[in-house]
Amino acid sequence: MDSLGVLLVAPMNAYLEQELDRRCRLFRLWESPADRRDDYLRAHASSIRAVVPYAPQGVDAAMIDALPSLEIVSSFSVGIDRVDLDACRRRGVRVTNTPDVLTDDVADLAVGLAIAALRKIPQADRYVRAGKWKSKGDFTLTTRFSGKRVGILGLGRIGLAVAKRAEAFDCPISYHSRSEKPFPKYKFYPNVVDLAANCDVLVVACSLNPETRHIVNRKVIDALGPEGVLINIARGAHVDEPELISALLEKRLGGAGLDVFEDEPFAPEQLFELDNVVLVPHVGSDTEETCRAMADLFSGKRVGIIGLGRIGLAVAKRVEAFDCPVNYYQRTKQDHPGYTYYPSVVELAASSDVLVVACPLNEHTRHIVNREVMEALGPRGVLINIGRGPHVDEAAMVAALADGRLGGAGLDVFEDEPNVPEALLGMDNVVLVPHVGSATHETRTAMADLVLGNLEAHVAGKPLLTQVV
Amino acid sequence: MAPPATQDGSSSKPIVLLADPFIPEFEQELAPSYRLLPAADADEAAAASARALLTVDLPAVTAAQIDALPALELVVASSAGVDHINLGACRRRGIAVTNAQNAFSADAADYAVGLLVAVLRRVAAADAYVRRGAWAAAAGDYPLASKVSGKRVGIVGLGSIGGLVARRLAAFGCVIAYNSRSPKASAPYKFYPSVRELAAESDVLVLSCALTEETRRMVGREVMEALGKGGVLVNVGRGGLVDEAELVRCLREGVLGGAGLDVYENEPEVPPELWGMDNVVLSDHRAVITPESIQGVVDVVKANLDAFFSGKPLVSQVQL
Repeated sequence: MDSLGVLLVAPMNAYLEQELDRRCRLFRLWESPADRRDDYLRAHASSIRAVVPYAPQGVDAAMIDALPSLEIVSSFSVGIDRVDLDACRRRGVRVTNTPDVLTDDVADLAVGLAIAALRKIPQADRYVRAGKWKSKGDFTLTTRFSGKRVGILGLGRIGLAVAKRAEAFDCPISYHSRSEKPFPKYKFYPNVVDLAANCDVLVVACSLNPETRHIVNRKVIDALGPEGVLINIARGAHVDEPELISALLEKRLGGAGLDVFEDEPFAPEQLFELDNVVLVPHVGSDTEETCRAMADLFSGKRVGIIGLGRIGLAVAKRVEAFDCPVNYYQRTKQDHPGYTYYPSVVELAASSDVLVVACPLNEHTRHIVNREVMEALGPRGVLINIGRGPHVDEAAMVAALADGRLGGAGLDVFEDEPNVPEALLGMDNVVLVPHVGSATHETRTAMADLVLGNLEAHVAGKPLLTQVV
Repeated sequence: MAPPATQDGSSSKPIVLLADPFIPEFEQELAPSYRLLPAADADEAAAASARALLTVDLPAVTAAQIDALPALELVVASSAGVDHINLGACRRRGIAVTNAQNAFSADAADYAVGLLVAVLRRVAAADAYVRRGAWAAAAGDYPLASKVSGKRVGIVGLGSIGGLVARRLAAFGCVIAYNSRSPKASAPYKFYPSVRELAAESDVLVLSCALTEETRRMVGREVMEALGKGGVLVNVGRGGLVDEAELVRCLREGVLGGAGLDVYENEPEVPPELWGMDNVVLSDHRAVITPESIQGVVDVVKANLDAFFSGKPLVSQVQL
């Protein structure tokens, strides 16, 4: 990337600037006086192939026109509403944003938990609040975090974000994942036990699927050993919790920082008295900023509803609060001028980002969401089913999700309940909730709220919230 | 480098007076080469001839103590800050002072980041919430916390600790700015000439500077108001950098959003008003208390003593 000329519009972030400077040929626009910037752009126009805009200012057509070599606008933000997308399209300039808004929070917490667990920060806090510093003297000695060998299970977005942070503490990074990734500075272990044996802090950051369930078992815990610390910010079921508890009680494991548990909201009470663990209530991504960002991502999405009965209307009312335009399909047009009517489900799907099934099941509506509908919804579309399992051709849906022809799904119902297609369990673009099995209006309204909560999470790319089976 | 051996054995090892009681880690490393003598127990002859004084646990080293040691040429501090030593008296007498150099920097920086994350993400309060069974009982979500990534962090004092804090938090995607006596040419962060201006442009203010007459109580009400009701103060420097009574008032009145404190004005006294606040994280001046730091500082102390008694340049002399 050395030769890539990048124009940075404003000093937004020290790390970004430092890394751009290291990896590219960086042009700092703000360093030239405001009245000389046009000259600056002209002087470097042939070298600048990328622009990193300042989100509140964006990139306008004039700047795009002034840069004939421009290939990409890479915004340091989720929102790209100030980038002139039409001008970019005309010129064939690509535009990217930073949509994974949850990654940072979870990675921040992972490193925060590692420091808190090694340095016993909550324990020290309790000690001081209890007045013990004065009466009993200094609290116990703790271990340094900087320089510790950090092992990461799963080098996806979150794993990489943890690695980046830990590197700034001079921690050597190693990882385990299904296959080796193109990061030569991180050491790959094809085997979890070997990873655990060669690190001081093991961070679980992989997705949950049948292969990774209980991936942290007794062998892994023993390999991590009495000086080792386990950090879990992924899912409780990644860890064999009874084994973890006995290892901590028997001091075969040094400590743990846990955000997730097998049976939430029940964290194992045996851990409550231990002072080598830090326990937080699944707050990995629970920051105000991220919730706002997720709302921003969801807001404005076009929602298509199949069946504008009571439940359909309850959904419509709620999504309107997110400024989502509402479309619907019904056999006949309804008297709801605020909502746009489509006479066919395929047309509805083609005009929607999110498709919600909320109609009764009958001979006409069985498999109403078939392959053709899902194709129309497309690879960025999300299917929500709070109707009945047979409304959806489940086999076609699983195939579409697996192939990426459908973006994601939030499912409350299934064709063959309580059996959920095995293939769905491993997908991180699917949210599954148990079918509560009640057809009352109140319950369905509550379910609509629940699905909306999940939907909101899903659109932001949040991993599985609640898992069936 | 060991001091020259003499014929009459241990009694002629150079005397190193101890300003505080024995600390085992130091004794083990230093006793083979030096005669370690608590200053309070030193007889007249020892006090008259002692050339070096070692301080470990921040005891006040007063002008009177210094004047009572006519042969004193060196005060070895095992801390990064040397505010507990009367530097004026040392300067007048031409006594050299050494500090812990960078032995503590990594731990202090780690702890500052740990406190910052703990306050913003409510780690300590959340841990207490889970342990008292409130999560299971409430059947609801814990209140939202504040994001770390992207926060504007102002660092007061961009020395070796502040520099490491900056590097660590930059990797969290935080926007770093700083205040120090003068801008650092090599620092890729924005410089503010005053702490108040820095606070006004920051979400979190991290104190990692030395306590001097200029920096004493530099964080008063004005700075805390500039930091604001969403702002967080993290102090891993010295308690004396902050007007503590004002800090308590600002936290109570909601003028300041939260605080992560490892140091206090009158340790081990911690204002009891803070004990009940869940927007603060408190600890007992332990940022640098790890075996790694202790070993590091023992090495620096020994290197300074060895250099001094063999007439070589000191390894971490403080400019007075």
